[in-house]
Amino acid sequence: MKITFKVYRFDPQSGKAPYLQDFPVEVTPGMTILDALGEIKAHQDGTLVYRRSCRSGICGSCAMKINGFNRLACETQALLLKQSVIHVEPLPGLKPIKDLAVDMEIFYEALARVKHWLINPDPPPTDKERYQSPEDFKKIEVSTSCILCASCTASCPSFWADKNYLGPAAILKAYRYSFDTRDKGFADRVGALDNKHGLWRCHTIMNCTDCCPKHINPTESICHLRRMTVENKY
Amino acid sequence: MRYKWRTGQWAFVLHRVSGLALSVYLVMHLYVVSSLYQPENFNKVMAFLNQPLFKLLEIGLLGAVIYHSLNGIRVGLIDFANGTAKHALIFWVLMAIGAVIFIAGAIPFLHHGGVL
Repeated sequence: MKITFKVYRFDPQSGKAPYLQDFPVEVTPGMTILDALGEIKAHQDGTLVYRRSCRSGICGSCAMKINGFNRLACETQALLLKQSVIHVEPLPGLKPIKDLAVDMEIFYEALARVKHWLINPDPPPTDKERYQSPEDFKKIEVSTSCILCASCTASCPSFWADKNYLGPAAILKAYRYSFDTRDKGFADRVGALDNKHGLWRCHTIMNCTDCCPKHINPTESICHLRRMTVENKY
Repeated sequence: MRYKWRTGQWAFVLHRVSGLALSVYLVMHLYVVSSLYQPENFNKVMAFLNQPLFKLLEIGLLGAVIYHSLNGIRVGLIDFANGTAKHALIFWVLMAIGAVIFIAGAIPFLHHGGVL
């Protein structure tokens, strides 16, 4: 089946405004959006820029806005969208660098602000590692599957309006470590979380949860952290 | 920004719009009530408000109050009762309840307005 891909093109060096370019692609069953982009790059226009690496939903590089919804290009089959025209655009809310590649700097900076690593001043019980029981891991299991694709943060209207907002991905990471039974770092993180650019900027719009390719629920993590913050304060 | 509108985004935007509308109403309401000091003035204001336009606005007010309070319950359930996974279902159940309250409430309004 012939599908027209309307692909967002932008080259800051050309001085031209961004525009959508049509690429007709013969789509076969099972073909993903990423496959189609590869087809376009190989046979129609070699200057097309997009990020990809693993092609199997693990690396999180190819998140983009496909037909108005953030998804991984490698996990989205073109025929399953049931459209003869497919819009492919960069993640919204982040600055486009070229074509489909966006500047991820503020996304990574937000992660650093919530200290997305294990904080525990006590030495490990053995000289090898800190053990965690399967039951304790179960509590945070879903949140550990985040691949940092930025689909959620780029789908969040609160983030579109406030680029200093941590965004669902960074807050999910704060949850993943703060609710890890081996971690004692909540006091170090609460400063970044408990302010108007943190937990309280979320208006439970749920776009993040709707689009997460790993079926994580960042809004629930935000609600848990809000309660933890309030309980710690009062 | 063109992005797919799902239940949560509609609920949020309508919540903001109804909240703003209710704030504007509150100011108008205080203005009307402030004329209570002078009975003549009050009668004049009431006569002015007895137009079909205000009957319609009154029904709009009923809708805004119902929507804002029911969605407020939904936001509370999301925040305090782990309602995130079922947020869309909660929305539509509450909206069904809201529709019943709205119809039951709008009929007497229209009766008084002489429409029905």
